Amino acid sequence: MPVEWTIPKGAPAETGAFFDWADGHGAPMARVVLRPHRSLPRSGFAWFLLIVWGFLLIPLIPLLGTLALWAMLPFLLLVLAGLWFFIERNYKDGALHEIVTLWQDRIEVRRINPRAPDQIWDANPYWVSIRLGPGDRPVENYLTLKGNGREIELGTFLSPEERQNLSDRLNALLVRAKSGPLTPAAQPTRPD
Amino acid sequence: MADAAAHAHDEHHPGFFTRWFMSTNHKDIGILYLFTAGIVGFISVLMTIYMRMELMEPGVQYMCLEGSRLIADATQECTPNGHVWNVMITYHGVLMMFFVVIPALFGGFGNYFMPLMIGAPDMAFPRMNNLSYWMYVAGVSLGVVSLFAPGGNDQMGSGVGWVLYAPLSTTEGGSSMDFAIFAVHVSGASSILGAINMITTFLNMRAPGMTLHKTPLFPWSIFVTALLILLSLPVLAGAITMLLTDRNFGTTFFDPAGGGDPILYQHLLWFFGHPEVYMIIVPGFGIISHVISTFAKKPIFGYLPMVYAMVAIGALGFIVWAHHMYTVGMSLTQQSYFMLATMVIAVPTGIKIFSWIATMWGGSIEFKTPMLWAFGFLFLFTVGGVTGIVLSQAGVDRAYHDTYYVVAHFHYVMSLGAVFCIFAGIYYWIGKMSGRQYPEWAGKLHFWTMFIGANITFFPQHFLGRQGMPRRYIDYPEAFADWNYISSIGAFITFASFLFFIGIVFYTLFAGKKVTEESYWGEHADTLEWTLPNPPPAHTFETLPTPDMWDKQPHH
Repeated sequence: MPVEWTIPKGAPAETGAFFDWADGHGAPMARVVLRPHRSLPRSGFAWFLLIVWGFLLIPLIPLLGTLALWAMLPFLLLVLAGLWFFIERNYKDGALHEIVTLWQDRIEVRRINPRAPDQIWDANPYWVSIRLGPGDRPVENYLTLKGNGREIELGTFLSPEERQNLSDRLNALLVRAKSGPLTPAAQPTRPD
Repeated sequence: MADAAAHAHDEHHPGFFTRWFMSTNHKDIGILYLFTAGIVGFISVLMTIYMRMELMEPGVQYMCLEGSRLIADATQECTPNGHVWNVMITYHGVLMMFFVVIPALFGGFGNYFMPLMIGAPDMAFPRMNNLSYWMYVAGVSLGVVSLFAPGGNDQMGSGVGWVLYAPLSTTEGGSSMDFAIFAVHVSGASSILGAINMITTFLNMRAPGMTLHKTPLFPWSIFVTALLILLSLPVLAGAITMLLTDRNFGTTFFDPAGGGDPILYQHLLWFFGHPEVYMIIVPGFGIISHVISTFAKKPIFGYLPMVYAMVAIGALGFIVWAHHMYTVGMSLTQQSYFMLATMVIAVPTGIKIFSWIATMWGGSIEFKTPMLWAFGFLFLFTVGGVTGIVLSQAGVDRAYHDTYYVVAHFHYVMSLGAVFCIFAGIYYWIGKMSGRQYPEWAGKLHFWTMFIGANITFFPQHFLGRQGMPRRYIDYPEAFADWNYISSIGAFITFASFLFFIGIVFYTLFAGKKVTEESYWGEHADTLEWTLPNPPPAHTFETLPTPDMWDKQPHH
């Protein structure tokens, strides 16, 4: 699933005490993981390689015990290894994901890149605004979060509907975070 | 993470050099493949015209040892130069098999339309895609170098036939043969990389909700082709590597004097060679399915059987190779097996042909140019398939082996089958790719001249084969003169239609009528490329398409 929500028990429906989630480090009030879509399940990958290897054995088996085996084997293994490597690499490209974690007084977006260091943005939800772009080209329902002096894009790899959905739910949660009672330590201070 | 900014890709215009020489965009690379294949195809067609000129009359008039001529001159002495003839058939075969049809269908249309139809933003590995293309160009260059490098008989080029049979190829003099082997090596590496790219894209980048059983038929055909390439080209690479070491390093893989076996080469070559002919035709199956469904204004009949027929044809292609070798001295049991396995292929092929006919049944057929090519394909491929069944009989093949009957058979399935698919694809999609439409009358004229010309060329060759005229000779006894004369006339008509086609392409690209309607063939052209403008912007489906955009088949 490209969008996975985790909302701790007892949190969502009622408004009320948010103290548990107010320290910006403990249990969050909500968490969502965004992943790009990949259409091949891992078991499909295993089956596929097995079938390829089966077919590669057809020309190989008759050559067993001859010198020609050694002329043929490297090419066949190279193909199998190449296939393995590139599909794995494609999975890794798809391992890119974004984790949005919301506490009462802090929202954090962490982007896990497959071949680069993680990128992190955080801000106080009180000042965060969420924006959903216009519904036409070039990018439909372009979603951004603004706060802490930056405006970042969110879930660019999702479908427009998924971003719309994400925006709605995130918005509701932000509203609740902003309106809930606050601990003194987490009093919003205007960022400069 | 990226700071917010509206994606500005569409406003970004790379320069000419950057766009066409350093491209990582699947659409640009597809177009590069199509044009390169077109140029190589033209060279390769020129060779056939020269060969048909030579075969027009008995005796040798053009390919003389005193120098090759373009105009016959009876007053001058002419000693037949068989080497030039052999070089012509060799390079015509090598270029057409490795550098024209597969790059056009698989590299060209596959690159351009497979990612579009599955809703992927690009290929899985765009830079490797660029590498594949340029290795293909390098392979073409090596092939052309081989044509001009010193070869056998102290002349240029190698005259061993496209199959490069040992011991002919291991004893051919000069460096030309080595260049040819390298050309095949490089183009093979290019195809394997391309195939891995296509497979990864197809398996892992389909739009959300597009399960394998909902993927359109053209991406399926490209996937099957990619698998055939992946499974068979390494075998060819191994075989020609052995050729190379036999030639240069004193090994004796194919030399009985050193304990080797020349028949082993034939087995390895045809283990690659038979899937190769399916690589040529299967992408065509995909294109034809879309064309027929579009112009019959009905969804394709029997989608799932169509998919599994392609898979079955691909799988069967790996277990029938020795039907090319009935005359090498296999046991009766071996021959019976290969004969029966070969005939089984008629079943999935029949499923496809009948499903196409059933698609048209009760449909509202519109004879636009792409549909004419599809009809032409259907008829001619069936004719070629029927002669294939004839040739699959080991006994009958004794008589037909190495005659013009075989030439007629494989040109009906490839020259008239696969090439008609290429033309169907070009007329079907040129408006999508260029934003301009060809003149309908010109497309139809091209079709009819080529259809008539190609039939006049190849149909008489069945008669020649039945009369016993052998393949691969520069000359023939006078008794074969009549049908050869007619065949040559057909070749000239076909060539004229090809020249006319080149004119159509350039007219369309520069002065064709602009098409702005996204789905200009109507609502039954319902795959994802028809939701895009003409031509599509450089970057498409950066946000993945949703099922309502592509899921229009009632059987889903």
